[in-house]
Order: sequence, then C-alpha cells, then structure tokens
Amino acid sequence: MSKKLKVVALLAGVLLTNGTYAQAEENFGKWLINFQRTKEVKPVTDKQYLKECGDCHFAYQPGLLPARSWEKLLTADALKNHFGDNAELDRDTLQAIHDYAVENAADKSFYKRSRKIALATAEGEAPLRIIEVRYIKRKHQDIPEKMVKGNQDVKSLSHCNKCHTQADKGVFDEDTVSIPNYPDWDD
Amino acid sequence: MKCNARLKNIAASACLAAISGMVYADDTVQDIVIPSMASTYTGGSRSYMLALNDTGAVKEQAGATPAMQTAEFEPPMFSGSNAHKYLGLGTLALVVATAIAPKPAEIEDRAPTQAELDAQKSSTHAKLGRAAAALAAATVTTGLLAHWDDFHLEDGWTDPDNLHALLGTAGALAMLAAVSQAPEGGHAGTGMAGGIAMGIAIKLTW
Repeated sequence: MSKKLKVVALLAGVLLTNGTYAQAEENFGKWLINFQRTKEVKPVTDKQYLKECGDCHFAYQPGLLPARSWEKLLTADALKNHFGDNAELDRDTLQAIHDYAVENAADKSFYKRSRKIALATAEGEAPLRIIEVRYIKRKHQDIPEKMVKGNQDVKSLSHCNKCHTQADKGVFDEDTVSIPNYPDWDD
Repeated sequence: MKCNARLKNIAASACLAAISGMVYADDTVQDIVIPSMASTYTGGSRSYMLALNDTGAVKEQAGATPAMQTAEFEPPMFSGSNAHKYLGLGTLALVVATAIAPKPAEIEDRAPTQAELDAQKSSTHAKLGRAAAALAAATVTTGLLAHWDDFHLEDGWTDPDNLHALLGTAGALAMLAAVSQAPEGGHAGTGMAGGIAMGIAIKLTW
C-alpha cells in the first residue's frame, strides 16, 4: 500500500514540476513527459517571422504546412510572385524566416493538429496553400459558401483569423470559431 | 445479488451516457430567430433605399452579406468538447483513486460469507471503481458525439484522433470488464490496463 502511494506521489510530483517549466521542444522524450497542452498548432514565437509575414497577412504558423511546402514557398524566386504579390526579402531575413518555418513545420512538430497535417500531406505534391491540405479542406467542407466567399468580412478560407478567434495563439478548435455575420452558426 | 450489482452498473453508465447526450444536445441547440416588428421595419426600409435608386445599396445587396456588429466573442464555458475533456480527466483521477483506495481483505482459503461479499461491494475501492467505469463510458459517449468528424478510418491508426478513439474505447471497455470481474482475482490488472490505455489516449490529443 505505502509502495503504491509512493509511486503515485512520484508521478504527481513529476506532473506538477514538469508543467511549470516544460517547453514544447520538438523531441519525443520531452513531449512524452510534457504536460503542457499540444493539442493545436505551435504558436509563432519568432518576432522577425511575425513582423515580416504579419505585416501583409496573418502570420500562418509553420506547423500548418510540411517542411517541403515551406522550402518551396520561401525562396527568393518564389517570393517575387507570392500568390500574386511581390514579397521579396533581403537574403539574411529570408534565411532566418526560412529556417524558422522549416524547423517548426508540421512534419517536425508534436502538436496534434500539425501531426494530422503532416499525415495528410505525407504523400504527393507539397501543398503551397494551407487550404489545399486534405485535412484542412475536410474540416471546412460543411461550411456554406455564402459564409466564406459571400461574406464580406471573410471572403476566403485563407483568412483564418477572421473566424478562428484564437488563430494567433495557434488555437483552431470549434469552440473558438465565430463566423462574422453568422454568430449563431454551429457545425 | 451479483446480477443486481451489474445491472446497477449498467444503469449508472447508461444514465451518464444519456446525460452526456444531453450536454451535446444543449451544445448544438438551434437558435431560432423569430422575426420581430423591428426587423420587419428595418427590412422594409431597404425597399425605400432601392426606390431612391441608391446604386451603392444595390451593389452591397448583390455582392455580399451585410456586415453585422457583433459583441466580442467569448468561447463557451461548457461545450460537448469541454464535457468530454473533463469527463476524461475525471476518469483518470478516479482510476488513480481506485488504485490507492483501501481494499477489503482477500479471502482465499474459504468461500466468503454473504456479509463479507456485501462488505467488498460497498467498500470505497469498489465504489470508486464503479464510478471510474461509469465515467469512462460517459467519456467515450461524449467523445463520439462531440468529435465524430475528427475520426476518419482512411487516415490510418497512426492518426492521433483515431488512436485516441481506439485506446479510449478499449480503456473504457477494460474498466467495465474489471468492474464486472470484481471481486475475483485478476480484475486489478484489467482495470489498470484500462486506466493506462485511457491515460495514453488523453496524452495523444492533449
């Protein structure tokens, strides 16, 4: 009996101390003993990435695409025509952003939603748009077009943060969804 | 008497599952918008604008949904997803409590008397075990209701949600089996295996 109590106390101790300083290191061992929530997508922590990407659009978390996609997207040539816009960056900035995106890509992350994205994109061509990822497509397939394209406050599924109210924190669950002009919509 | 206790366990699980269903129903309740006099008036005002040949207004109508002023969004405190999460954590807590709760002395050398059997069934350990199994059943029910669209067989068993569902269900079944076997020997192993399976299931999607 006392032996069992000791084991339980030890486990509780590990649980309590670990939670205070655990960081979402992309390492299986650390993930296993890390009790911080990793259900969603790792939020962006890099200030340069936030500034350079976030100046023009929502700073998409690297965990929303696999590394192969970021490798294609973040080259000097690709940024000359970044979905119709010129988004060229100086060499050092591009290198830093590229490295951050690749290091935190979906296939290198232990965050649940990133793992699902990595599985969905493991085979075939690397998607360049997040809304082309099979998993993301499936999650949005039941939303009527009038709520997205026909909604002047949303316009496109690529504007994640228009409906996902905690997108900047990497949280994309259903409880935090609020579609502008359709506050009562529920999946 | 044993059959009676099993029936009680099944009934308790069914009740919790029913409550879980109600939580989900409440979460997905439709808000019926009943037209009011005010909405009739504002709806009518638009025709006056069209009559004034306001081309801007016409464009706005054809192009997109009119923008609505909405209050700051607050995620719901209680939802099907949250109910599932708290029930799962509650199950784990009860599994640990069951494991450390004092157990009645085992009688190996003779058949237990009716009084001893009753004492075993009404012990804290037995009550916690039954509660854990019932909560596990409710957790699985809420999970199926709140997250039915996260579960896709074509993604394979390495998908975290698929594995979570598989381990969670297996864990709940093992706990129910352990309660059903008790107080006979071997039920502790089944119960612990169920608890561990559920713990891993939670960790996978935590």
